[in-house]
Amino acid sequence: MRKHLLTLGATLALSPFLMAQKIGVINSMSGPEAPIGENITNGIKLAEEDLKKKGLSLQLVWEDDTGKPQISMSAMEKLATRDNVVGVVGPYTSACSNAVAKLAEKYKVPLLIPAAAKEEITRQGLKHVFRMNAPADKYASSLIDAATAMGKPKTIAFIYENTDFGTSTSKTAKDYVATKGIQVVADVPYPKGSADYRSTLAQIKSKNPDLVFMVSYVADAILLMRQSKEVGLQPQAFLGAGAGFTTTEFAKEKAISESVISCTQWTDDVNWPGAKDFGARYKAKFGKEPTYHAACAYASMMIMAETAKNAGGDRAKTRDALKAGKWNGVMGEVAFADYDGFTNQNNHQMLVQQILAGNYETILPTKFATKKAVYPFPKWK
Amino acid sequence: MAVFMQSLISGILIGGVYALIGIGLTLIFGVMRVINFAHGDILMVGMYLTYIIFTMLGIDPFVSVLITFPLMFLFGGFLQKVFINRVLNALAQNQILLTIGLGLIMSNTVMLIFTSDYKILTTSYSSASIQVGGGVSVSTPLLISFLITAAITAALYWFLLKTDTGQAIRATAQDRDAAQLMGINVKRMSIIAFGLGSALAGTAGALISPTYYIFPQVGGVFTLKAFVITVLGGMGSVVGATLGGILIGITESMSAVYISSGWKDVVVFVLFLLVLLFKPSGLMGKSRT
Repeated sequence: MRKHLLTLGATLALSPFLMAQKIGVINSMSGPEAPIGENITNGIKLAEEDLKKKGLSLQLVWEDDTGKPQISMSAMEKLATRDNVVGVVGPYTSACSNAVAKLAEKYKVPLLIPAAAKEEITRQGLKHVFRMNAPADKYASSLIDAATAMGKPKTIAFIYENTDFGTSTSKTAKDYVATKGIQVVADVPYPKGSADYRSTLAQIKSKNPDLVFMVSYVADAILLMRQSKEVGLQPQAFLGAGAGFTTTEFAKEKAISESVISCTQWTDDVNWPGAKDFGARYKAKFGKEPTYHAACAYASMMIMAETAKNAGGDRAKTRDALKAGKWNGVMGEVAFADYDGFTNQNNHQMLVQQILAGNYETILPTKFATKKAVYPFPKWK
Repeated sequence: MAVFMQSLISGILIGGVYALIGIGLTLIFGVMRVINFAHGDILMVGMYLTYIIFTMLGIDPFVSVLITFPLMFLFGGFLQKVFINRVLNALAQNQILLTIGLGLIMSNTVMLIFTSDYKILTTSYSSASIQVGGGVSVSTPLLISFLITAAITAALYWFLLKTDTGQAIRATAQDRDAAQLMGINVKRMSIIAFGLGSALAGTAGALISPTYYIFPQVGGVFTLKAFVITVLGGMGSVVGATLGGILIGITESMSAVYISSGWKDVVVFVLFLLVLLFKPSGLMGKSRT
């Protein structure tokens, strides 16, 4: 009996250390962004599993922001004040992340954003905001570099959704092409969810651009390419920046997605430690290929959980450890550095890929290339 | 010139489908004086119905209109009989709340069943087009859907003008009490009108689905559009809704080219406000005093 009491006493005394760390997750689990949000959810679930295997049990507090910044913000308030989480992983979209970032700073909660593209998020000198993925400027520069490496484009047309993600990605792309001497012949933002882009595309076609640069989420990506085919828009290359152009749904639409060039944060072609294994296990567990969002979310949760645990659940220590730490995993080498006006930004290596025979094949950088690129874009059938 | 023609043609084709949505709403309003805020959601149900029929039975979306139309008619009739008929004499805000509630139930039920994933119907002609010369192309699925819309609209005119039931519906729309005194079963006419309105919205959903994408919240966009179209054309006027639909289609398409894609909604609403300012009853509306 006495022995039992002793054990009980010891357990009680140790309990603050044994108690699972609370980590918050904000993600778009329903609403229009949900198809991509699902990848993030799955990535985090896989991380949770792996952490458990490592003997690190954590308590995740899930919040669904439905893709709306105001809901994302109230989720952050709740996590920071009511649930007392050590850190937060998420949210998904740029608009939500940007809104939540300022709150994270206010409440001094370390926030690790896995996959939001807008540059400004980590350009405001926020000390508690970290980002795993490469921001929008990298999307633009890696795609345009790929095009100039393969051909001699002189003109470019931009068509993008008029959201944070669309405008910021295309703005940096416009700045970048200016330095390369490529002329912008059309610059068209569109409201998300329009049924008809034909007139806009016909207008772009009349300018006969060498490159067409598109920024859209999944459904519009398919619609835009379908209607490009309809009106016979025929550039040297279609460049799709992130999101909608890197999903399996898009690749499945072979008639219109073939030979479209896009860039991504991650594929399982890379030789980063654990990447191939992650891809295989993800596929086995969820029955579909992981997108880069899944890998970003997985790596973010692994880093956040381990750091939070080592810091003993202290927010300030967690922040300092995130800032000082270096990791090497499915996302390659990760470090949150300050450079080019960014704060706590992981300077991530982007990959350029092309859809060939219905599959995403890495074409650049050459050391990860799986297939030779097709350039210029083949004539529409 | 090619750009102008291209945007005019796609504007008219898209406008045809808008017209179909508007006609459904205007019919319901005309007969019942109930503003149906669930109209877009009924359209969404039609889209999912088409999706199920296409993926499970392999029936082409355009052919499936033959199944969607009667099913959506029954669905609309059911809604009218069970819900709307009860609030016909209630305050307008209660009617609005009821239809908004019905719409929410529909979109959330669909979300529970199908999740919020975007569905895209891929048919063999999804990205096919016909070259009409001068660099102008016409989307094949859009052209087919326009032709079907035109056929349905013509059939509807015939029904409303020539048949007894059609005349009874128009009589109910003109004066509910007088129609009842003349021995018209106005409750039954209401059920038929709501059924027809729903069937038209559902058909519009079926016709859009090969060229658009399907998700549970898609209705909101179209509810708003349907309102603009009906108010623009004149509440309760079928001809007005047809005109309004095509006008909105062309305006959207033209302003996307000559102003900016991002501003096209602004242009549509400015046009809408101008019409309301100078002709408050809408293009074809008779003010009811």
